[in-house]
Amino acid sequence: MLIKSSADLLQCYDIIIIGGEEVEEWLFKEDEYTPKEDKDKFVDKSTFAILKILSNIKKQDYIIKKGQFYSLNPMFKLSFTIAILVFISLSKNSHFIVLSLFSVLVYLLFLDKVDVKTIVKLSLILPVFTLVMLIPSIILGNISNSLKIILKVFTSILLINVLSYSTKWSELTKALKVFFVPDIFIFVFDITIRYIYVLGESALEMLYALKLKSIGRNPKKYNSLSGILGNLFLKSKETGEEMYSAMECRGFTGEYSYSSKFRISYKDILYCIYNIALIAAYFII
Amino acid sequence: MIQLNNLSFSYKEISALSNINLTIHNGESIALIGANGSGKSTLLKLINGIVFPSSGSYLFDGMEITEDSLEESKFSKIFHKRIGFVFQNSESQLFNSNVYEEIAFGPKQMGLDEEEIEIRVSDCLKLLDIEALRNRTPYNLSGGEKKRVAIASVLALNPEVLVLDEPMNGLDPRTKRFIRELMLKLNASGKTLICSTHDFEYVDGVFKRAIVFSKDHTIIRDGLYNEIIQDEKFLIENNIK
Repeated sequence: MLIKSSADLLQCYDIIIIGGEEVEEWLFKEDEYTPKEDKDKFVDKSTFAILKILSNIKKQDYIIKKGQFYSLNPMFKLSFTIAILVFISLSKNSHFIVLSLFSVLVYLLFLDKVDVKTIVKLSLILPVFTLVMLIPSIILGNISNSLKIILKVFTSILLINVLSYSTKWSELTKALKVFFVPDIFIFVFDITIRYIYVLGESALEMLYALKLKSIGRNPKKYNSLSGILGNLFLKSKETGEEMYSAMECRGFTGEYSYSSKFRISYKDILYCIYNIALIAAYFII
Repeated sequence: MIQLNNLSFSYKEISALSNINLTIHNGESIALIGANGSGKSTLLKLINGIVFPSSGSYLFDGMEITEDSLEESKFSKIFHKRIGFVFQNSESQLFNSNVYEEIAFGPKQMGLDEEEIEIRVSDCLKLLDIEALRNRTPYNLSGGEKKRVAIASVLALNPEVLVLDEPMNGLDPRTKRFIRELMLKLNASGKTLICSTHDFEYVDGVFKRAIVFSKDHTIIRDGLYNEIIQDEKFLIENNIK
């Protein structure tokens, strides 16, 4: 029923009567409302930041579908990435550093175009800071060593990003078993990543709610944000307690054993040979 | 009032809504029906300007709602003032220190004077029968109480359209009956109601029109609520009953 006349309005009063008390007229008529100007970009910015984190975690689900390099055994990927990083750091030989850089660039050929763009973008930012820091050294004539450091930084970041963008985090944590990381730590890593997502979703919903309710001027913006953070903290505490109870109900006694069965394919063998050759180059060149 | 033309929406590569054409008039009471994951909640988020269509258009009172148009602060605020959304998980909607502050949040932003704010909050507390909760912390309330506070906080904005995402979920029978009565009253007072629901037992008589979603995220039926709800075979076939 639409309110067109005072008779309609009276009929509505008859309908909305709570405990013998009538609800005021405001609910039945449209507000004539013009919002005041306010700076409220902070909600959008916070929402965007959380969305970005969540989409980074969410995209992990699609990693395996993309291609050959993505399905390599994470144990090999993690081990060789760390080994190559160590050798790059140790190397004083510019030939080896350049060779490592080229070998990492070869990996990019096997990655998804969008990932390549992101990886290259991210990897170019930090060396710029290194360059700025090394300007005094370059001015004083130490050009060769400064260039080596910049190349080392660039190659290392590239390598880490290739690993991160081509491997699921859950698989990476499992691969930590190679380094004798205790199972309970791996379990905690896994839960942490999962709960960043769960709590991130809750934070996002609350920010959406805040945005929908932000229909005017809010002089206490940061009170609303602290309210959201407080609620989130309580929620994380509650969720943690509930999860622990659920684990106890399923027989958890503080010990946890992870079984990580990774298959080894011919691609993994090729990948190992490629990396062993690179490590050998460190000693030969 | 609300017009969706050839609207589709997808999360990354997964389609959530496909080719939706829908017109909703002022004062209607509409139930969105469909199995889990059929796209009901996504459509409600889209109607509220939380997410935006991948293709097609959404018009609210003749104005196109897009990410760009909602970037304009004034337009966005007027839009959000006119359309209120009660989330499925009402806990997410409550972030103030007590129930009074929660309900007064919207009216305060509207710049209403103290007296008017007090009237609105008191009326909403009365309407939702939660006067006793006035000074309680929302986080510590029961599920049903949180739902009532969330509805009250949205009603305090006096929206023309009230969108509810499965409002009966996880509530006890008395609260469900209460929300049914409330929806009847609000619709009778001229508010447009759009509500996704699975709880047919408790929404009897509330809705005039039903829109049914298929598992393919499209609308497969749009008609009178009573006719659709009596079509047992159709409901079972589509995993609704």
